[in-house]
Amino acid sequence: MIIIFRKALSFIKRSYLLQMSYKFEFFLRLFFMFFNILTYYFVAKLIGTAGQAYLAPYGGDYFSFVLIGIAFSGYLMVSLRGFSESVRDEQMMGTLEAMLVTPTDASAIITLSTLWNFIFASFRVLLYLAIGVLLGVSLIGANVLAALIILGLTIVCFSSIGILSASFIMIFKRGDPINMLFMSTSELFGGVYFPVAVLPTWLQTVSHLLPITYSLNGMRHALLQGYSLRELAPEIGALVIFSAVLVPASLLAFRYAVRKAKMEGTLVHY
Amino acid sequence: MVNLTKTFAAPRGIADLLRRRPSADGVTPVDGVDLAVEKGEVFGVLGPNGAGKTTLIKILCTLILPTAGRAKVNGYDVERESGRVRESIGLVTTDERSFYWRLTGRQNLEFFASLHNFSTDDAREAVDELLGVVDLRYAADVRFLNYSAGMKQRMAIARGLLNDPAVLFMDEPTRSLDPGAARSLRDFIKGEIVGVRGKTIFISTHNLEEAEELCHRVVIFDEGRIKAVGRPGDLKAALGEGSKLSDVFVHHTGKKFEERGGTGAGATAPGFRHDRRGFPHRGGGLGRRRGGV
Repeated sequence: MIIIFRKALSFIKRSYLLQMSYKFEFFLRLFFMFFNILTYYFVAKLIGTAGQAYLAPYGGDYFSFVLIGIAFSGYLMVSLRGFSESVRDEQMMGTLEAMLVTPTDASAIITLSTLWNFIFASFRVLLYLAIGVLLGVSLIGANVLAALIILGLTIVCFSSIGILSASFIMIFKRGDPINMLFMSTSELFGGVYFPVAVLPTWLQTVSHLLPITYSLNGMRHALLQGYSLRELAPEIGALVIFSAVLVPASLLAFRYAVRKAKMEGTLVHY
Repeated sequence: MVNLTKTFAAPRGIADLLRRRPSADGVTPVDGVDLAVEKGEVFGVLGPNGAGKTTLIKILCTLILPTAGRAKVNGYDVERESGRVRESIGLVTTDERSFYWRLTGRQNLEFFASLHNFSTDDAREAVDELLGVVDLRYAADVRFLNYSAGMKQRMAIARGLLNDPAVLFMDEPTRSLDPGAARSLRDFIKGEIVGVRGKTIFISTHNLEEAEELCHRVVIFDEGRIKAVGRPGDLKAALGEGSKLSDVFVHHTGKKFEERGGTGAGATAPGFRHDRRGFPHRGGGLGRRRGGV
């Protein structure tokens, strides 16, 4: 456990140093985040109370609703892209092979490689929320513990999907169906920009098959309305079930992909 | 190694996912290799580009799985005990891309030390010592991208020695170096790694001088097969007085051995292959041979 923790710190330090060697890009990313939030702030002003019927279960304010949506959907993006991109980046930089001849397991290497992305995503979420509060979003009654539990389950769930995605990259190098599937469906069906209830009933069925729907629902209820853990049981239960299926499936898929790549001698191809 | 064989199947897209065993067609860069290397021995694999040297090293480093046969490194099976094998080995390649160019030499080595389960303090200590060993302490805090080819190669050796490996694999370690730097590196390998540290070294090369100077024994390797094994002196003596190692190669393979940089304009060196358009190209080299698009 201590060894893994030490390795995690080492990966974070490496990623931080690499990121800081491109300082301009780092600050640009932070700077343009503000524009994103402001855009939705003004869209919310335009909408006003028009969507009240759909927004009522989340407190009734569109800006608060979408702020949580864009902030926390960032974790899904990091998970979907982070794992496969770290495989690809290390392949392209030529460092993957040098890491794979060390005693550190391939799955650990890929998982730890994405830690910095999650830290950056969390930093971004905090900034989003801070700016949101400055623009009038109220988090006074937030149930922080429940939000953290949902966040933990969200990261586990999304990471498993990300590892599944990395398995495809390991074998096919490009053209990862998992990434494409979740990227294209999550924003539309997952309730990032509008409540799922807006969708026709038959399309809402698709929403219920996506973990992001439960993550964002739970997060909004916990942060905006201060729901208790008992009230959040449906969302937490769904995320636990998703995790129970996705974690072993993703690890098995990744192990198979590494073995397949070793068999074909394509471990470092890109 | 017992009957070690690797066949790369001809790729057939998505159908490959379902196939457990490779199809009959394909290439076999390692074909029924039987070999034993003694502890403390410097063992050279001598062959032209595309002979299968890199694939052989990758199998022994657990980066590629064999199709048939068995191999053990430091007593551990490369398939079933791959973790133990990786604890026992170091790998030195010619691929200078295998470092983070925007990090310093020290930062690179400390990161790789953590992958070898070093604690932060132990890593710092080991890295500092190795930087001294490869004479790079003065450039330790300079970004890797500012290093010369010789410095990069010494960094690769430092990384290969991080875990004090029982077996050090070196894949054409002097390939990208000028004659002076290559000479200096060979002296370092001979003096420090072999002389002082007494490591078992498995080195691939297509430089005859290097093989004669460094290796206790060499194997002549071509088209994935062992053509001859023995001490360089014995192999030469078997052909008669005045024979050179290049004569041994010609004798056993029927091909002229061409060392790097030795061809005239327009000529294609033996050991080079022609692609479908008729252009000569080189294989060989970890990370280069298979690392392209």
